[in-house]
Amino acid sequence: MLRLEGVTKSFAGKHAVDNATLTVPVGQMVGVIGRSGAGKSTLLRMINRLGDPTSGRILFGDTDVTALRGRPLRAWRARCAMIFQQFNLAGRLDVLTNVLMGRAFHMPPSRALLKMWTDEEKAQALSALESLDMARMAGQRAETLSGGQQQRVAIARALVQEPDIVLADEPIASLDPRNTKVVMDALQHINRHLGITVICNLHSLDLARGYCDRLVGMSAGRVVFDDAPAALTDATARDLYGLEAGDVIGHAPPMALPAGAQPGFALAGS
Amino acid sequence: MRAPTSSLRERYPEHFQGFGRDRFVAAAIGFALFALLIYAMGHLGFFDGTLLAGFGRLFEIVGLMLPPDPGSWAHVKTFSVSLIETIAIALLGTLSAAVLALPLAFLAARNVTAQRVVRFLSRRSLDTIRSVDILVWALIWINVVGLGPFAGALAIMTADIGSFGKLFSEAMEAADRKPVEGITSTGGSHVFGIRFGILPEVFPVLISQILYYFESNTRSASIIGIVGAGGIGLHLAEAIRTLELQQTSFIVLMILVAVAAIDFLSNRLRFALIGRRGGATA
Ligand SMILES: Nc1ncnc2c1ncn2[C@@H]1O[C@H](COP(=O)(O)OP(=O)(O)OP(=O)(O)O)[C@@H](O)[C@H]1O
Ligand SMILES: [Mg+2]
Repeated sequence: MLRLEGVTKSFAGKHAVDNATLTVPVGQMVGVIGRSGAGKSTLLRMINRLGDPTSGRILFGDTDVTALRGRPLRAWRARCAMIFQQFNLAGRLDVLTNVLMGRAFHMPPSRALLKMWTDEEKAQALSALESLDMARMAGQRAETLSGGQQQRVAIARALVQEPDIVLADEPIASLDPRNTKVVMDALQHINRHLGITVICNLHSLDLARGYCDRLVGMSAGRVVFDDAPAALTDATARDLYGLEAGDVIGHAPPMALPAGAQPGFALAGS
Repeated sequence: MRAPTSSLRERYPEHFQGFGRDRFVAAAIGFALFALLIYAMGHLGFFDGTLLAGFGRLFEIVGLMLPPDPGSWAHVKTFSVSLIETIAIALLGTLSAAVLALPLAFLAARNVTAQRVVRFLSRRSLDTIRSVDILVWALIWINVVGLGPFAGALAIMTADIGSFGKLFSEAMEAADRKPVEGITSTGGSHVFGIRFGILPEVFPVLISQILYYFESNTRSASIIGIVGAGGIGLHLAEAIRTLELQQTSFIVLMILVAVAAIDFLSNRLRFALIGRRGGATA
């Protein structure tokens, strides 16, 4: 169970995240929604400790995540995989090496820095790629792939971390509708079939409604909504998004699934 | 429909300033620099006719240089051996400089070394090395190891450690931080971030810098040969001193061909090492 207690992050006196309190039970798929600049990315990055809270605590079970330093901190990051809007792959490295980075915490640097991977590690990476229909591209440079393919590589990297939590920061923001579906389906599979908690920042309200068990709405750094998707009325949504409301409500990408649909996993090739 | 200009001007006055103070200062500095340049040229005798008179002599000398002629077959052989020696000096000096500069560059790059004191010290030592010119290094090394190509290679090495250290560390600092962040987010340590996040991205930049310096050092190596640090420069200086101008132009031509060949080969090598952008490496 992940708990945020009064988490605040300020940049130059301005609160990007303001006193956020949240409890996420194991195995939930949470969508974090809100307009641009609401603090969604800042919140997710603090959970992975890419950013440190100014005040407040983040707890996982009995561990105070905010107090971790050094190796225990890296152990936490390994358990809490992160997927980025811009994929954050090493473009000049091949796909397989990028996925193997998901094992970086567990590898002895002495051989890993020379790119000497064990067969076990390679098999794990390839199997993760296979589940996303990307194994054929394992030898290709990441920068030569399309956005959707790169994001699938990033998801494979997250999978080989064997994480307890997957954090996804607008994973589909730079993708077309078809790849949007592939990526969201993959996240749903990770959640439903592997039992991994998924926290996903989404700009599109329809996607969030379709895929998540629970929505957390943020506005100006504060958590202003926290309930089941059905409880989010159009009026609340309009409040949440303000001027952007027209963009995010009622423009469902044609292929978005209704909640409860059970997609297969290796959808990418279909 | 956009807001009226007057209201935008009111809200963002800083973007509507006309010929502002900053631009006036920039223009004044530009003018002062130009005046200084003219004054300095006058002081050095650019305008009192010596230059014009000299031009005639320049054409005369060029005329005497044509056609290029080594004099004898034996000369061609000695020059070729010396030219190869020059290239070897340049190659050895450039490569050893690159190898020694790389760890220093890591210490000097902000996104690699968090320790400010270490960064400061490595940057200042790189500056210090860089502030001494290659010719001075050649004279110093000749005193230490004696005349010859070894002194030449050492001179190039020491002079270029400073330049490489600066260029490499700046390439690292300019590297995108997203790949590093990706690796950090998986629990990978800082070393993994450097090795798999920064290094692959700066590798092509380092390669092209090293290859360019190799080419340029082939030219420098002919200069330091003049002070006795080995290579073709010795023969070049000799030919100029004894007014063997056709030989001089022959040597210059040989250097030209060598540099062009190196340029051609280094381009090939660069693409072989880094792969064409967008192509698969599988
Ligand atoms: N490194 C930073 N330095 C200064 N301010 C920052 C920094 N990162 C974020 N902010 C500010 O914090 C606020 C929240 O930003 P954040 O990126 O978390 O928003 P977001 O909800 O993810 O928006 P988007 O949907 O556009 O990604 C913004 O006002 C932003 O300008
Ligand atoms: Mg964001």
